Amino acid sequence: MRRFFYNIICIACMMAAVNGYAQDQEQQRKVTPVKPSTNKVLTPPKGTKEEIIQQYLTGDTAQARAQERKDSLAKIYPHYPKLTEFSLGLNFGDAILMAFGQKYSSFDLSATLNMWNRFQPVLIAGLGRAKDTPDDMNYTYTGKLSPYFKIGANYNFLFKNEPRYQLYAGVRLGFSTFKYDITDVLINNPYWGEYAQSYQLKGMSSNALWGESLLGLKVHIASNWSLGWEAKFHGIFKSKKNDNGNPWYIPGYGTQNGKWAFGLSLYYTIPLNKDRWPVKEEKKGKDKQ
Amino acid sequence: MRKNSKYGFRLMLTVIMTVVAMTSCNNDNCIGNGSSIPLAGFYNGDKQVSISNLTVYGIGAPNDSVIIDNTSASSVYLPLRLSTGSCSYVFNYNTEDVENDTITLSYDAIPFFQSHECGAMYNFKITSTEHTRNAIDSVRIPDPMITNADVVSIKIYVQ
Repeated sequence: MRRFFYNIICIACMMAAVNGYAQDQEQQRKVTPVKPSTNKVLTPPKGTKEEIIQQYLTGDTAQARAQERKDSLAKIYPHYPKLTEFSLGLNFGDAILMAFGQKYSSFDLSATLNMWNRFQPVLIAGLGRAKDTPDDMNYTYTGKLSPYFKIGANYNFLFKNEPRYQLYAGVRLGFSTFKYDITDVLINNPYWGEYAQSYQLKGMSSNALWGESLLGLKVHIASNWSLGWEAKFHGIFKSKKNDNGNPWYIPGYGTQNGKWAFGLSLYYTIPLNKDRWPVKEEKKGKDKQ
Repeated sequence: MRKNSKYGFRLMLTVIMTVVAMTSCNNDNCIGNGSSIPLAGFYNGDKQVSISNLTVYGIGAPNDSVIIDNTSASSVYLPLRLSTGSCSYVFNYNTEDVENDTITLSYDAIPFFQSHECGAMYNFKITSTEHTRNAIDSVRIPDPMITNADVVSIKIYVQ
């Protein structure tokens, strides 16, 4: 009998020990990694404007969120001021093409106003001339130094980026009034035995109105200086006909039968309202440090 | 900065080469003739006809040179004399049945710069025509201005 009670007590002790271990395990599973909520003040993310923080603190959360959204959009679509910059350019592309054998040249000065870093009205004034005595031909063509003017606008596709680098499409309307000579003309009429018949056509005048569509690239090179390339496709709207022959070369346009032209320009740019230009995030960070 | 300049230089070279390639594709051929010579066509009614055994020469041409010699032709170029305001051409049919015809053209020579490719030349404005009526019925000038365009500018109607 004593032995029976002894066995029961042993079993009861073992069960109590197992139960205690199980309770310990249960208590460990209840442990959670989340810290209990406290009254600690939440700090706003880095870079949040003081104005927005104040709005949150005063309880005007709707206004603060609207402002945050506006700032976020401004990062995606940076808003440049109406008058972003002003550029003066010198087109000297024909100087290079003359080295490749081109017999005419136009040089011009351009004034470009960059508005919102998107729209760019352009005014151009220049001078052009030509002189050519083609091989195996019977004349010398001289296009006298004459002025030309262009007016137009560009649209900068890289308006989200800094204005230092621009890829743009543009249109121009050009006009020139000019004079030209045809000299050293020699004509042979072998059937009638007439050789070396000559004449000169001097002081012929004409004018032309034309349009251009172009694609251009502007790249910052140093300080306020940039280089720009333009490929132009153009056509003549109207030109004055002449009784003794139409001009071969039109200042600012090129040759009558050419549909393409090329421009290479050096620009000097003056930034305007720079304090209102969007500030880059990296720069902001650096400023704060 | 140096990286940008390098990139810009490469881009500039690419653009220049493209443009040089484009400018080299310009059409340098003369559209039309190298000089303004009227083309005379032979017609019977509305149809252009061919005349066999025809010889054509200009009166006063050096060495009695002929324009065409005893060949079959439906048209013939008649070069105009520059030093005079008119010239005459003899049409010899090389047959005993029909006598020779003569056409005289009077004109004004106009110095004209045609184009860079065709060069400078004379255009002619026909002022009057005269002709005999052996085989020729009439002569019509559709456009009195003779240019380097390769079209029939004198229509000779034969009987």
